[in-house]
Amino acid sequence: MNGTILKLAAQALLGRRRFWLLVALPLALIGLTVLIRALSSDPDAAWPMVSFLGFPLVLPLVAILAASSVLGPEVDDGSIVYLLAKPVSRHAVAISKWVVAWAATLVVGSLGVLVAALVAGGGSEAAGWLVAALVAGTTYSALFLALSAFTRHAVVVGLIFVLIWEGLAGGFLSGVAWLSIGQWGIQVGHAVSSELDAPVNLPWALLASLVVTVGGVWFAGDRLRSFALTGDE
Amino acid sequence: MSDRSGVIHDIGYRGYDGPREGTRSLVLSLYVTGLRHAFGLGRSGRSKVLPFLLLGLGTLPAVIVVGVVTFINFGSLPVSYAAYLSQIQMLVTLFAAAQAPVLVSRDLRHRSIVLYLARPLSPALFAVTRWASLASAILLFTVLPTLVLYVGGLLAGLDFGDETPIFLRSLALQVVLAAVLAGITGLISAWALRRGFAVVASIVVLIVVAGVVRIIQEICSYEDISTVGELAGLFSPWTLHNGLAVAWDAGGRAVVELHDAWPVVYLATALVVWAACVALLVRRFVKVGSR
Repeated sequence: MNGTILKLAAQALLGRRRFWLLVALPLALIGLTVLIRALSSDPDAAWPMVSFLGFPLVLPLVAILAASSVLGPEVDDGSIVYLLAKPVSRHAVAISKWVVAWAATLVVGSLGVLVAALVAGGGSEAAGWLVAALVAGTTYSALFLALSAFTRHAVVVGLIFVLIWEGLAGGFLSGVAWLSIGQWGIQVGHAVSSELDAPVNLPWALLASLVVTVGGVWFAGDRLRSFALTGDE
Repeated sequence: MSDRSGVIHDIGYRGYDGPREGTRSLVLSLYVTGLRHAFGLGRSGRSKVLPFLLLGLGTLPAVIVVGVVTFINFGSLPVSYAAYLSQIQMLVTLFAAAQAPVLVSRDLRHRSIVLYLARPLSPALFAVTRWASLASAILLFTVLPTLVLYVGGLLAGLDFGDETPIFLRSLALQVVLAAVLAGITGLISAWALRRGFAVVASIVVLIVVAGVVRIIQEICSYEDISTVGELAGLFSPWTLHNGLAVAWDAGGRAVVELHDAWPVVYLATALVVWAACVALLVRRFVKVGSR
């Protein structure tokens, strides 16, 4: 890890307009959960806000924004060559950038899911969602960082993964759960609270999350090691 | 030395004195190029991958549905036109969100807009043409699978008189949907010039808000307070489309059915949102173009 790169990545993330989009998402989630909780007579009415909106949509969107903010703009305008010209290991660059994206995803995304879950009803189910969001947030941030280093269209590819693969295909085909980061998180959350589903088994969920996280960060570093600048398409 | 005199050689350059086509052909060629660029045609191979991948994913289920209708003789389509579009709304939205920056952001970000506006083409007309290209691209994207459903269904022996009115009504709704989606995504891409930022902002506005509306409508139908559900449906183009599709029998499904004058309100809302988006888009281009 490199302190200067950490600082610069954090500035790139916090200093821009996109930071407000990053924070606005969980805030809107929490606000709507409060609203539904206040208006509905059914005490469980607000849980869908966590299980259908907060966890499968807001958390990955926050992770995509965070991961693409720490690496995307530099790749986009080509200024990453100045960073890569420094005598710092490319893997150290990738790890430093990931740590910033990861921290932002956990603080903004997972915390948002936790607060929404606490508002929706709390109890052990909220703890389960927190664990699920921590695991999935970690894995998502590594995957999206790898995508940002791999392609200019990282945001769209990431969205296709989340919306089409995990969302659309996952809704029709139950087997998709074995290759779905969100479902791995839910499986780990199930170990804390049995209110959550158990789509796969726990060792697979833990192992797969670990492999994707470590592999993603390593792959991002590897891509930076053999980085080719191309023009805007 | 002093007797050296300069000579301008006539090497045969000639002025153009052929016919000059007016603004109309300028707009037309800009529109066609924009429409082609939305699908990556005339651009690099890599920019064709995404639009055609999404188009393929959006059309494949329609082919499967037609296959099912062919082998098991249904009397009607198991998933009709508007309901099908509602099923693939993620794909349509992603297409709109991903391709709007291609048409709108790049000219503004790289300032190539000044080159366009150096021609006798007003910024307002430029903005409207860009919107028209995007809306047509989205319309093509939605028409293809519904056309597959319609033609395939007819070939599989569905009744022509039954299917045609439903198909035509769905087509009319698709025009409204494409106009609104292109307005919203185009406006967002004109403000957020970074591609990734624009895409995520469009997704938030279209998918996350649609998800929220859906949850609110489910709760409302559970609690039996239909007015709040109908009101919530106004906030997303997709629920506008789905609500109108059920009200006008265009083969749709919706959580909340519209009563009384709500279909008119839905249509009016769609038109107001569309007009506001295009007006703001024009204002943005006029402002940037005058800098």
